[in-house]
Amino acid sequence: MVAANATTITATARRNVERYPLLDWMVTPTLVVLALVVGYPIVYTLVLSVQDYNLLNVTPATFVGAQNYRNLVLDPIFWVSLENTAIYTFGSVIVSALLGLILALLTENLTSGPSRFARTLLLMPWAVPFVVVAFLFRYMYLQNGGIINAILLATGILHAPVPWLNSAALAMPAVSVANIWAMTPFFFLLLSAALTAIPNEVIEAARIDRARGWSMIVFIKLPFLAAALLISSLLMVISNFNDFAKIWAMTQGGPGYSTSTLVVYVYRLAFEQYNFGYASAIGVVWLLLLLCFALAYLRALRIR
Amino acid sequence: MTSLARRPRLQLLASVAAFAVLALCAGASAQDKITLHFANWASAEGTTKDAINKAITDFEASHPNITIESESISFSEIAHQLVLRARSGNPPDVAQISGNDTILLASTGALEPLDSYVDASLKANIKPGALSGLSVNGKLIAFPWNQSPAGLWYNKKIMAAAGLDPNKPPTTIDELTADLEAIKKSQPDVIPLGIDTTNRAFALTSNWPWMQTFGAKPIGEGATGANSPEMKAYLTWMRKLAQEGLMDPGRKIGEFRPLAAQDKVAFDWDQVLLQGVIQGANHMSADDFYKTWGVTSMPVGPEGKAHSFEGGHQLIMFAKGAHKDAAWAFIKYLATDPAVISNYTLGVSSSLPSVVSTGDATLDAKLNTPIFDAFAKKVIPTISEQPYGPAFAQASTAVMAGVQEAVTGQTPIDDIAASIQQQLPH
Repeated sequence: MVAANATTITATARRNVERYPLLDWMVTPTLVVLALVVGYPIVYTLVLSVQDYNLLNVTPATFVGAQNYRNLVLDPIFWVSLENTAIYTFGSVIVSALLGLILALLTENLTSGPSRFARTLLLMPWAVPFVVVAFLFRYMYLQNGGIINAILLATGILHAPVPWLNSAALAMPAVSVANIWAMTPFFFLLLSAALTAIPNEVIEAARIDRARGWSMIVFIKLPFLAAALLISSLLMVISNFNDFAKIWAMTQGGPGYSTSTLVVYVYRLAFEQYNFGYASAIGVVWLLLLLCFALAYLRALRIR
Repeated sequence: MTSLARRPRLQLLASVAAFAVLALCAGASAQDKITLHFANWASAEGTTKDAINKAITDFEASHPNITIESESISFSEIAHQLVLRARSGNPPDVAQISGNDTILLASTGALEPLDSYVDASLKANIKPGALSGLSVNGKLIAFPWNQSPAGLWYNKKIMAAAGLDPNKPPTTIDELTADLEAIKKSQPDVIPLGIDTTNRAFALTSNWPWMQTFGAKPIGEGATGANSPEMKAYLTWMRKLAQEGLMDPGRKIGEFRPLAAQDKVAFDWDQVLLQGVIQGANHMSADDFYKTWGVTSMPVGPEGKAHSFEGGHQLIMFAKGAHKDAAWAFIKYLATDPAVISNYTLGVSSSLPSVVSTGDATLDAKLNTPIFDAFAKKVIPTISEQPYGPAFAQASTAVMAGVQEAVTGQTPIDDIAASIQQQLPH
């Protein structure tokens, strides 16, 4: 009865909207705010990207057309940063999603008091601010005095301390590990929720059909988790693409350019060299890449 | 009825008149009172906060018509904020600044030249060299608040334990390398050489003298460029130090200080303030400090000369400020007042004043210590100007990324030098 009423009210409201199209104008304030808050910075970035604009120059900015974009194509640091961004983003998301999935499946049936506490503990890294995560790992990775080297040396696994963050080869994996540690609980949380949403009838029917263990996971549970996995992965791809705090606090993009991502490179160009024109051009490319992911995310939401 | 109605009206008129008179008086008083905005990191840092706040309070007491509004901004953020504020027409009146950031700000055209404010007697009292590098296009754009050059600090206990003569610090790069190897061999837990290899403009400032002693000068007048035999020699030496564990790459200059206080760093390329930091951390007496630590000039490399950099802080005045005389009075007070020099410059900053004589004989006597003496006689004469400016900021990312590649990777030095050269500003 209540549901029937609700349906009637919704239908009435819809009819009202159709009858008074001027009500559409009610969204105007929101559109104005969005145009100011989102639209203006984007348009201004586009304008800056075609200018030679350095904050340190007393002379006014000059229009240079596509010169900044031409420089970008020839800039080896841009390509290294783009490659690092892809490695950091997709590497972290894939591993975190897998770990989150494994943890969610392993703890699915833990419902007693202590088990619930263990599940809560698994969520803890997600609650730690990213900057704290970065400094935590930075000190753990220290070549001299870091706990990771201390343990590996004490257990005889290593004979000399490893410069985790100061090796061009190891820095990116080391930073990614910190990121994975912080991000896995997000996947664990979402996938745990998705697991509980699988209808019992489906599980029971599968059991009757003798589905157990691996076959139950692959053929029954994973198809139900696919939507949550896709949407959470896309969200995290967008989030990691913009991740500045962890990398800056741990390596500042170094050693060399081995952990320099697009966001770090843009920061250096804009706030160390004050080259806002060129930094904006990179920002535009970065924005276009993120738009692709955002569109994929919206499409995934619509399909589901 | 009419008279009754008129009385409240008269009372109202009288009240309005009284309020107007009071408002005018208050307005006049507010007009006389000057508020100066002082952007600085001294009040943002725990060690210097109390001393700078006291200096400000004392200044306000001696200048009742001036109020100082201190704006705390961290050291790493202050240049960004000042550039953005200067370009948006909203700068503070006075700011604390240092190194390349001073010249960067000057290039925005936002700084007030100080030549007309520095009178002859003050100029005569400024230490030789303290004003060098602070002029742009012939105009003085910053006033030296303190001096903080870098020297090679050596831990005498560690040297003795390694079988080295603690009173004979190395004088050449070859001697230094041999000493570092001896220390590594005898005390593996000790970092033989503390040197900043982070990727930031300050790290290039800190490494510049080492490059110079190899004859390398990546940018500036008479530059050798990065793809030069001199630069390659410097990078090769740095790689050798890293590969043999004679340095600890990736640490900021400040991250060696607590380790130095625990006798875990043998040689440390650091500024004069190191003494204060070590004593603050381990509560060592001055006598014990002098028995444990000494400081000397940089060992000489193939170029045959020692070099150092001036890491002191400067005070700048913005041209847009409305109260320039008051701003100058504040700048002069911070840099020359004996109480500020005693409590702040020497006390918590552990730096040298920029003036020859403080005007206080007791205070001048305090400057007569073995460390200050070594800085005055051995280190300060080796200070070389660096090609500060926008090009230096751009070069710092490229050069320090190359240094990091050299000390942490396997890329051939020739390739690294060529890569740095490609990224340097033309």
